[in-house]
Amino acid sequence: MKKVFALILAAAMLLSMTHVFAEEKTVLTLWCIATESDANRPAYEAAIAAYEAAHPDVKIEWEAFENQSYKTKIKAAMSDPSTLPDIFFTWAGAFCGDFVEMGNVYCLNEAYKPWAAELPEVMLQNASYGENGDHYAVPLTMNIVTLFANMDLLAKAGWDHVPTTYDDLIACCDALVAAGITPFGCAGSETWCVTEYLEPIIEKTIGYEALNAIFAGKATWNDPAIAKAVDTFQEMIVKGYFDPDGLTLGNDQVKANFIAGKTAFYQNGSWNCGEVNDAEGNFQVALFPVMDAEKATYGQVIGGPSDSLAVSATSKNPELAAAAAFELGKEICHYGYLAGSGLPAWTPYYDTSDVKPLVAAVAKIVAESEGMVLFGDTAMSADPANIYLNYVSQVYGTEIDGAGFVEGLTNTLQ
Amino acid sequence: MKKTIAYKLNILAFLLPALILFVGILIAPIVMSVIYSFHDFKSVSASADMTYVGFGNYIELFSRMLVNDKGALFTNVNYMGDALVNALILGALSVFIQLPLALLIALKLSKGIRGERAYLSIFFMPVLISTVIIGQLWMNIYEPDGLLNSALGALGVKDQLFSWISSHIHSTKMPFRGAWTGYKETALIAAFIPILWQYVGYHMLLMYAGIKGVPADLLEAAQLDGCTEGQVNRHIVIPYIKPILKVCVIFAVTGSLKSFDLIYTLMKDTRRAELPSTLMYKLTFLNNRYGLGSAIAVVLIILCFAFALLISLAFRDKGEKVA
Amino acid sequence: MKNQSKLKASTVFVHLMLLVLVVVNLFPLYWMITFSLKDNDEIFGGYLKDNAGAIIYSESGEKIPVARNMIGLPRTWRWSNYTRAMNTGNMGRYFLNSLIVSVFAILLTLLAAFMATYALTRLAWKGRKLMNKFFMLGLTIPIHAALVPVFLILSRMKLLDTYIALIIPYAAFSLSMGILISIGFMGDIPYDLDEAAFLDGCGVWGIFFRVIFPLMMPATATVGIYTFLQCWNELLFATVFVSKGRFMTLPVGVKQLVGQHTTDWGPVGAALAIATIPTMIVYALLSRRIQEGFIAGAVKG
Repeated sequence: MKKVFALILAAAMLLSMTHVFAEEKTVLTLWCIATESDANRPAYEAAIAAYEAAHPDVKIEWEAFENQSYKTKIKAAMSDPSTLPDIFFTWAGAFCGDFVEMGNVYCLNEAYKPWAAELPEVMLQNASYGENGDHYAVPLTMNIVTLFANMDLLAKAGWDHVPTTYDDLIACCDALVAAGITPFGCAGSETWCVTEYLEPIIEKTIGYEALNAIFAGKATWNDPAIAKAVDTFQEMIVKGYFDPDGLTLGNDQVKANFIAGKTAFYQNGSWNCGEVNDAEGNFQVALFPVMDAEKATYGQVIGGPSDSLAVSATSKNPELAAAAAFELGKEICHYGYLAGSGLPAWTPYYDTSDVKPLVAAVAKIVAESEGMVLFGDTAMSADPANIYLNYVSQVYGTEIDGAGFVEGLTNTLQ
Repeated sequence: MKKTIAYKLNILAFLLPALILFVGILIAPIVMSVIYSFHDFKSVSASADMTYVGFGNYIELFSRMLVNDKGALFTNVNYMGDALVNALILGALSVFIQLPLALLIALKLSKGIRGERAYLSIFFMPVLISTVIIGQLWMNIYEPDGLLNSALGALGVKDQLFSWISSHIHSTKMPFRGAWTGYKETALIAAFIPILWQYVGYHMLLMYAGIKGVPADLLEAAQLDGCTEGQVNRHIVIPYIKPILKVCVIFAVTGSLKSFDLIYTLMKDTRRAELPSTLMYKLTFLNNRYGLGSAIAVVLIILCFAFALLISLAFRDKGEKVA
Repeated sequence: MKNQSKLKASTVFVHLMLLVLVVVNLFPLYWMITFSLKDNDEIFGGYLKDNAGAIIYSESGEKIPVARNMIGLPRTWRWSNYTRAMNTGNMGRYFLNSLIVSVFAILLTLLAAFMATYALTRLAWKGRKLMNKFFMLGLTIPIHAALVPVFLILSRMKLLDTYIALIIPYAAFSLSMGILISIGFMGDIPYDLDEAAFLDGCGVWGIFFRVIFPLMMPATATVGIYTFLQCWNELLFATVFVSKGRFMTLPVGVKQLVGQHTTDWGPVGAALAIATIPTMIVYALLSRRIQEGFIAGAVKG
């Protein structure tokens, strides 16, 4: 027994010693969520390799965490900023805003100046706070909610194009159901996936200005039109347009089902473009049709730059880290765009003719967009965002109706 | 005099490692939690602005629970009430289903049946498997296209069962199609079954040990008096192992109040089987309401303590009456 | 005669019921092992694919359908799932880390619990009953309630991202149970032994280390197992207190790996099996000892 302990002790000491002998380079630490299966993983790997090649005296020590665990981890680390890495992944909007308010994020106004020509200032807007709109995070990609359609399945129901009006969509869904095809898949166990359906439906009912005002807390949820939008969504659920299995499935499974031809549509972020594009089959991208033509137009979208890198205020080399965040951000954006895991927040400096067709199609949609609303759970700060997600989850489970949704949110989020 | 001082120092020295660990890692956090629970935070941060709010967090916790939306007792938001009710249901299921089952197996096994040891080993095995693994494994069992629904299909009862659930216990408009963890009506039971599966062997082993400790002459005397097996169990074995039953009940109830890992891994969205600990986790790390989360922690500690005390008292009273 | 056959019938019934329970206990594990060796096409039905995931076509250029095989033995034993789990997840490292953390947490718990128990039961002083109750408070504290405070304490002490960051909290949370069990065991050691040792000139320390400690060996099994279960399973502390891959423990590794292959049941099953099988082997070897440890703990506690 003693021998075993001695052996383990020796092993433990050996393991903890190894890093002591690392070469003496300036080390920048980085936390992100690009785990090995993440679509962005190759982009991170390539960007970090490029950075280290250009700066032989700097070493990036990076760790990738599973998404759900990461949120716990980064928030716990914020309670003692000295435990933060130099650079960390964050979502823009209120998620990052809370950290900025705590004084834990390094201001990037100075570091941004040399990059102004390549990174339009509007792309930094979601991570700009305070009266002066100080910049705190470097956007990597921007994404919108996209309606992916399997044209082979649509053809089986007699449709050769993605419906662009609500009546057409209903007709198309009815035809699909009649042909034994489930129109939509939506992951109920991950509520953000439900918002990918609900938010466009609400936006296309009340218009993007109204929804923006609500997310910003400038208007209340108390609008009968929202209740109507929710009811419409639920009608589609009750009519069997949504795969009932989706209630407990995760997004990966729902996406796999769509790609495997089990559902005709899949509405989710445009970061899926690369994957859908490379899959076997005939796919197209579109937007959810207009519900109320008086208030909304087809070109209004949900989305914006959100995935970002920020620099911690406690970094020992804040200027170096800030410069690295921009360099890394630019390259992650570059490789991510070519791989189809997001649209560029940075102006491309490279040949974009290799960009995948579906990605190019979404890029065109964004270029022609007529209004944009940031994802609700990113736009709102943590407490209201999660109360909102809670209600959205109940909507998908048809536990409350549109009136209950509006009443609950109005009362709780005063 | 010198000796007593040395003696006291020795006592202190013996207690020191335990005291440092205990006070540093358990008591200090509780004290911090109590203090935090009287404050509101801008975020999960002790360094950020704390505002003293008195009992505000506790009031919010329990008033949100009682506010009437539409004549319902519990609102849809915050659900501390739901969480407590769920924890108590889970505790009751453990006490009234898991423990009797464990007792039954223990009674049968301790009678010296063939292969006693092998049975014991197999029933105890799930206790040693990591909860993360059990959660993932049962997630696959419950998948719409997973083991459970395939088995129901193979038995030919799937459609009937689903339509019965849809029409009888189901409050939503969606037809039930086998998404066991997707509906409030089934999610808690779906969470209980892996707990039952994992821990029935644990309680069984504790009880088995107790029964093995019953003096043989007591049993022989009873059998000579012509008692049936059932009578022996009821009048001799069960009263004798009461202290162990007490421990089992305390573990089952406080374990249910504290349980977290299984639900956290079994369901990505814990809302449909919310427990105080999962709610505390969410409010702290998703809603950034650290003060509110700390209030739940304090409530949980008090509840666990109160239940342990109550159960001890309940067992003591009965024991005295019998004596 | 009549009585005997009746007895037999009831015994057979009991065995039948127990066998049903055996199946219920073992089936999920059997199922986990089988699906860890299949691919999705075999589990759910689909088309034949090679190990790289490309569809295999028959000579006539048709896709080859695979019948659904949810619970049967694998038709093709896909050991590549295990290679994939080992490669992407670094499971070997996580396993070693879990072992290191568990072993040291157990040692620390044993030392602290035995010493405290000695002071609580064998040394006479005022307030020892109260002190005992104080330690028992720990049994009711949910580990998750302490997450952020413990994080702050550890970070102030610069202990994050080390094995110690997990060893100390795990030991602390096992301590109350450790003391509870130890009190039962130490009560069984005759006081005559203390006195004899005292007459031989041993001080309290001598008595503790030369007499009591060796006689507490049976308790080490019990306390050790309780502590082991705490450490081996714990997820949240391990997620938050450790950021570097080289210190991550098995539950974190499994969670991460499962998150990476959510839709691919084979590698997920392989990860689960890799994390489970070693524990099962140890259990098979030590099952008697482990059970006895548990039983002893229960009776004494």
